[in-house]
Amino acid sequence: MNHIALKMLMGDRGKYLGIIMGLTFASLIMTQQPAIFVGLMMRTFSFISDLGLPDIWVMDPKVQFVDDIKPLQDTKLYRVRGVAGVKWAMPLYKGLLKARLENGTFQTCNVIGLDDATLIGGPPVMLVGKLKDLRRSDGVIVDIDGATDKLAKPPMVPGGKPTPLKIGDTLELNDNRAIVVGIAKTTKTFQSQPVIYTTYSRAVRYAPRERKMLSFVLVKAMPGEDIPTLTRRIRKATGLAAYSRKEFIDLTWNYFMKNTGIPITFGTSVALGFIVGAAIAGQTFYNFTLENLRQFGVLKAMGASNWTLLRMILLQAILVGSIGYGLGVGLTALFGYATRNTILAFKFPWQLLAFGGAGVTLICIFAAIISIRKVIKLEPAIVFKG
Amino acid sequence: MLPKYTLPLLAAGGFAFGVYTVVNGNQPVPVAQPVAEPANSPFPTFIAGSGIVEAKSQNISIGTPLGGIVLQVAVKVGDMVKAGDILFRIDDREALAELGVRKANLARSKAAVGEAEASAIDTKTLLELIEAVTDRRAISTEDLDRRRNAHLLAKARLESARAQVLQTEAELASTQTTLDRLVVRAPVAGKVLQVNIRPGEFAPAGVGTSALMVLGNLDQLHIRVDIDENDAWRFRKEGNAVAYLRGNRQFKTDLKLVWVEPYVIPKRSLTGDSTERVDTRVLQALYSFNRATLPAYVGQQMDVFIEAPDADSAQPPMHQPDQK
Repeated sequence: MNHIALKMLMGDRGKYLGIIMGLTFASLIMTQQPAIFVGLMMRTFSFISDLGLPDIWVMDPKVQFVDDIKPLQDTKLYRVRGVAGVKWAMPLYKGLLKARLENGTFQTCNVIGLDDATLIGGPPVMLVGKLKDLRRSDGVIVDIDGATDKLAKPPMVPGGKPTPLKIGDTLELNDNRAIVVGIAKTTKTFQSQPVIYTTYSRAVRYAPRERKMLSFVLVKAMPGEDIPTLTRRIRKATGLAAYSRKEFIDLTWNYFMKNTGIPITFGTSVALGFIVGAAIAGQTFYNFTLENLRQFGVLKAMGASNWTLLRMILLQAILVGSIGYGLGVGLTALFGYATRNTILAFKFPWQLLAFGGAGVTLICIFAAIISIRKVIKLEPAIVFKG
Repeated sequence: MLPKYTLPLLAAGGFAFGVYTVVNGNQPVPVAQPVAEPANSPFPTFIAGSGIVEAKSQNISIGTPLGGIVLQVAVKVGDMVKAGDILFRIDDREALAELGVRKANLARSKAAVGEAEASAIDTKTLLELIEAVTDRRAISTEDLDRRRNAHLLAKARLESARAQVLQTEAELASTQTTLDRLVVRAPVAGKVLQVNIRPGEFAPAGVGTSALMVLGNLDQLHIRVDIDENDAWRFRKEGNAVAYLRGNRQFKTDLKLVWVEPYVIPKRSLTGDSTERVDTRVLQALYSFNRATLPAYVGQQMDVFIEAPDADSAQPPMHQPDQK
């Protein structure tokens, strides 16, 4: 029987390809669009997730997301350090500063100031140089994307390629001299600005003068300390906001979900993909069943039970569903692979694989149900009509 | 035409590639390790503060009692000096000349004593001659009285000449003192931190804008710890304290409280700019430490932890936190 079902399905190549194309298209849209969405959203908190060492982030209570800097007084660091259960607490400066390039243009950069002694909060991967080199006078570490693109030196000849920054090159940050001592790889941020790492005291010197400078206090809990208890204790003792890394990521995520059009845009795309995919695949599958109604009738007349016919239709649905899903996922992965070195945000977690699968399954179930209804209601006598 | 298995194979390949992308694209970001391990508190509840190393004795600006041209500078920057060691000399020619005069005066007054002694002996001899005459009729009373008075006079002159010697000796000593004052010596043992004079320059007496020479005692160093005013109420004098060298937490030392500055001052954040930002007010506590345990330089920053009660359970201290 299964053999007959497959024969039936593949016999009409046009319809067969039509169903599969519809499902492939639906599967592609339902994985590729969310992948870009997830990639984009993960960039909003990539700075937090890149910083693996601290357990807790302490900041002004009014901070809404990671780029919303409301600086603290320098002495708050020592107040946080004095809370019981804190293993260490380190200052972190994060701010946007203007770098002046050789050709006179200005580029806004994300400047990160790390604790002078320990350099906690450094970039996850160093491509050239060592983090320790920041101890050299005027030293800064630039991320690879900034070094090769936005902060690169202008081309020698008009229209040529810009020269990437290399170790020993100088930058001008707010009229201060800075020397590149290392190139790092960081996860891209939402605004895709070049990232410049330096020491806290140097970052404060580069920054325009304000009374308060301290952006965040990074806290490591004592071994065995319960993180939620410690965050509560820090909040109570200092009056500042303290979030675990997960909580701070959620805070940033929720801010972007609530205050930007990103979720609506991508949500609409995904919904349209689902609807269009369901319509095409469902309709084609239904048409195909209608066309093969005579064959089903013959089978029924020959004594095949409803259950057998149902199994045949389900097998057909599962087959086209799997093929369409596999092709769609493959195309999404190919898309991700092709754009891996571009500015495009693309992140493909396993949840999306499951989400696409669920979507395609829903479409197949929908298509199968309307077809099954027709076949079960079928009178075998119809075969002998007209 | 499309072979039968092409599409299923393509689909299987696509799914596999999708799984590969999922696995490959979601590697955890490596964690950047600190360059130096941060210092942690050895106490369960504590106050953290930043400390700065300073010399125990405050810097001594050396002055001179008498102004004059500097003749010789006897020490270099960095020399260790003992109390009484010569630091520098002021031009002493005038005082030396006066010393010569005083010495001559002394010699003359000593000679005058000899003269007076001789005169006294002479008058005494004459008096004894006449007193040896037993027959009073042979001598006149007048002669006897004159000789007696002459002897008294000569004795008085001798006393006067001796007093003159004492006076000239005192004058000589005074000039000697002036000469001594032209040599400036170290008041305490210590290290020469600064030398601002050279031979030939005029060293004025009195308070100038810059010290002629700066001495300091670096045997004992103190750590001045800034405690945020919000945490000051938790500070206890009897609490143990530990300081860590920045950049290498292997170097740590126990601290002993020396005193607490009674006045809470505004903390300055030195930015190197022409103006300084005032952050907040801080309580300053001074601690001493064993210098052998820590390779610290004056002016270096330290991470300090002071044992203190928990913010929840702490009672206010019984006594006022004032000077020890």
